[in-house]
Amino acid sequence: MGPGIITSNVDNDAGGITTYSVAGAALGYKILWVFIPMIVALVVIQEMCTRMGAVTGKGLADLIRERFGVRITFYAMVGLLLGNLGNVMSEFAGVAASMELFGVSKYLSLPLAALFIWWLVLRWSYKVVERVFLAACLVYFSYIFSGYLAHPDWGEVARELVVPSFSFDRSYLVILVGVIGTTIAPWMQFYIQSAVVEKGITVKDYTYTKYDVIVGSIMVNLVAVFIVICCAATLHQHGIKVESAQEAALGLAPLAGSWASTLFAVGLLNASLFSASILPLSTAYFICEAFGIEAGIDKSWGEAPAFYWLYTILIIVGAGFILIPDIPLIKVMFWSQVLNGVMLPFVLIFMLLLINNRDLMGEHVNRWTYNLISWVTVGIMIILTLLMVGTSLFQA
Amino acid sequence: MEKFRVLGEFFFSQIQGKPIYDHRGRRVGNLRDLAIRWEGDTPRVTGIKYARSIQKHIPVDQLARINATHMDLLHELDEESLVPLQPDEIYMGKWLMDKQIIDLKGSKVVRVNDIKLFWLQGRGQKYLVLNAVDIGFRGLARRLGVEFLFRRMQNHLVWWEFIQHPEEKTASLRLRGDKQQLDQLHPADLAEIIEDLDYKKRADFIEELDVEVAAEAFAEMEVDTQIEILEHMNSQQASDLLEEMPPDEAADLLAELPEEKSDELLNLMEPEEAQEVRELMVYEEGTAGALMTTEYLALAPEITVAEAFIQLRRLAAEAETIYYLYLLKDDETLCGVISLRELLMADPEARLQDLMQTRLITVQPQDRDREVAEAVNKYNLLAIPVVDDDNRMLGIITVDDVLEMLVPDRGSLETFANIFVSKRAMK
Repeated sequence: MGPGIITSNVDNDAGGITTYSVAGAALGYKILWVFIPMIVALVVIQEMCTRMGAVTGKGLADLIRERFGVRITFYAMVGLLLGNLGNVMSEFAGVAASMELFGVSKYLSLPLAALFIWWLVLRWSYKVVERVFLAACLVYFSYIFSGYLAHPDWGEVARELVVPSFSFDRSYLVILVGVIGTTIAPWMQFYIQSAVVEKGITVKDYTYTKYDVIVGSIMVNLVAVFIVICCAATLHQHGIKVESAQEAALGLAPLAGSWASTLFAVGLLNASLFSASILPLSTAYFICEAFGIEAGIDKSWGEAPAFYWLYTILIIVGAGFILIPDIPLIKVMFWSQVLNGVMLPFVLIFMLLLINNRDLMGEHVNRWTYNLISWVTVGIMIILTLLMVGTSLFQA
Repeated sequence: MEKFRVLGEFFFSQIQGKPIYDHRGRRVGNLRDLAIRWEGDTPRVTGIKYARSIQKHIPVDQLARINATHMDLLHELDEESLVPLQPDEIYMGKWLMDKQIIDLKGSKVVRVNDIKLFWLQGRGQKYLVLNAVDIGFRGLARRLGVEFLFRRMQNHLVWWEFIQHPEEKTASLRLRGDKQQLDQLHPADLAEIIEDLDYKKRADFIEELDVEVAAEAFAEMEVDTQIEILEHMNSQQASDLLEEMPPDEAADLLAELPEEKSDELLNLMEPEEAQEVRELMVYEEGTAGALMTTEYLALAPEITVAEAFIQLRRLAAEAETIYYLYLLKDDETLCGVISLRELLMADPEARLQDLMQTRLITVQPQDRDREVAEAVNKYNLLAIPVVDDDNRMLGIITVDDVLEMLVPDRGSLETFANIFVSKRAMK
C-alpha cells in the first residue's frame, strides 16, 4: 500500500479543492455524477503506470527517453518542469491562504512550511516519508466531517451521484471541464511510477498495488464529493458564489458552524503542504530519470545530488515566489494549467504506446478490452483537457 | 602487423536520417538505424536499416563511403543481398541510444547521449565500429540540434572498452570500472591500456588520471608513445607529469622532443626538478650518463646502523632502489657501499664505515651502455654507481634500466582497433 493512495490524494491539492468548492457553490449537487466515471479514469490510468513500473523497474521518464529519444523527452521535460513549477507555486499559495485563515502571516508560514517539507524528505528514508504522506491522506477525512456538518440532503446527494445531468449552459460546461480537467495531471503518472520503482515493487507483489490504486482513486473522489456536498448544502443553497477555497472556508462559518469552516481550512492546509512536497519530488524524479542521473528519497544527498538540488530549488522558488508582494499569481497559475493541459495528451499517448510494447512489457501488455477502455478514457481526458485549456485561453 | 587506417569518424546522430546513394548517385533510402553485433570488446556495425517498412538491411560491406552528410554504396542496391536482423544483433538507435549507464555499484550515472563511430580500413576490408559513448552535455546538445551553441565545450566520451555487454537488450549498460578503479591498476597494466587507445584518446585518458598514477603508468610506456602523448597534452599537465617521473626517464624523454618543446616544459617544471633533469640531459644517448638516475640513497659513512635506518625511512620513498646504500664523503666522493641485507643483519650500534664494501664496481658517464650491461651482469648487481674521474658520485643505473636497453621493444600496437580486429581474427 502506498504509491496509489498518495498519488490519488495529492490530486486533491489546493487547485483541486478550489475547483470543487467553486463547482459545489455554483452548481450544487448537479455536478456529483461526474465523480464515478472519474474513479474509473483514475484507476485505468494509474494502474497502467504502476504496472509499467513493476514490470520494467523503470520510471515513466526513463521509458519515454529510451523509447522516444532525447528530443521529445527534452521538450516534454521543459514543459512539465515549467508546468509543475507553476503548480508548486499554487500549492504554496494554498498553504499561505489556509494559514491566513488561522491568522498566521504568510511571511511566517511559508518559510516554515518550505523548511518542514524539505527537511522531511531530506532527512528520512522512503519508508518514513511514505508513512507521513499516508498520515496526511487521513487528514483529508476532515472534508468528510465538514461535509457532514453542513447537513446536506442525503437523498438528493444519492440521486445526483448516479443520475447524470447535463446542461449546455456555458458556465456549467466551464466548471464541468474544470473539474474533470484537474483530475489527471501529467505529474501523477511520473510520480506514481517512480514511487513504485523506488519501493521495489515487482510483478509478484503487483496485485496489492492494484488494490492500492483502486482504494486511492475511490478515496480521492469520495473526498471531492464531500467538498462539493459541503459547498452545495451551504453556499449554493444561499446563492453565495465563491472564487477560491479560502472564500469557501470563510463562507462556511456562518452557515455550517465554525467547526465545519475550521475543518475545511485544515483540509486545505494539509492538501497544500502535502502537494507542495509531492510535486517537487515528482519533478525531480522525472528530470533525473530523463537524464539518467541517480534519484530517490532513499539515496543520500551525496549519492543523488541533482535530485535533491532540484527538489530544493523547486521548493525555494515555489515558496519564494508567493512571498513576493503583488505577484501575478493568477497569471502564473493560468499558464501552468495551460502547459500541463498541453503536455497531458503526449504523456497519456506515450503511456499507451509504452504499455503495449511487447519488448518492454512482455506478457503484461494491455489486453484488447483494457486497451479499448484506456484509449476511450485517454481520448475523453484529452478532449476535456484541451477544452479546458481552450476555455481558459478564451476567457483570458 | 598490418595497420588500420581511420577513414572517418562521426557521431550516430550525425548520420541518422542521412541519405544513402548507390554507385550511380541514385538515392536508395535514408539511414534509419544500424544493426550491430557486439562480441568482444568493441561492437561492430553489420547492416544498415534504410527504410521504415523494409525489415532487411544493407550489409555494411556494401558501403563505399560514409560521412556525416551521406553514404555511397559500392554498387546497385540488390534485393538478394539484403539480410534481416540476426539473433545476435541489435539495433543501435533503438536499443543503445538513450540507454541508462550505471557504474559498478549500480548507481545511475548518465544516459547514452550519442555514440561515436569509426570507419576503419584494414585487412582488405572496411569496418564501421562503435568507438565511444558520448555522455556529455555537448552530445545532448548535438541531438537537440543546438551543438553550435556549445562548440567550446569538450565532448565527454567513454570508450567502448569500458562498457560491459548487457545481458538483455532492455538492461542498463554497466561501466567496467570507475576512475578510482583505474587508479588502482598496476602501472604496467594501465600503461598497456593507454597504449592500446588511439592517439587522440590517450592524452584525454591520462589527463583524467591522478597525476602520480599517470606518471607511473607513463614511465612504463614506449618512448614513441610517450612523446606522442606529451605532444598532445597541454604543456602544464605535461610538465606536471614529467616532475612525477624519475629524472633519468624524464631526461630521456625530453631529449627526444624538439628543443623548443622541451625547453618550454622544463621551464614549467619546478626549478629543482628541472635542474636535475637538465643535468642528466647533457649525456649522450647510449652512454651510462644517459641511463643513470640521480635518485639513489646516499648516507654519511660515520653514522651508525640505527641512524641509517632512521634516514632510510625518510629517503626510501624517493629513491629508485633501496637495496644499495652508497656512502659518500663530504666532497661527494664514493667511499663505500652497503646492501640492505648487510644493514639488516648488522649490530645497530655499528658504524657504517666498519661494515661497508670498499671494493667498488663503478662506471663512468661516458662508458657505453654495453659496458654497463656487462658490468651489471658480471658482478650480479641490482644497481651500479656512476662516478666521474675524481670518484665523485653522479648517479646510479638500476638493473631494470639495463634490461630495458637489452630488451627494447615490447610489441606495441597501433590503435585500439588493431586489438579488437586481431581478437576477432583469432576466433
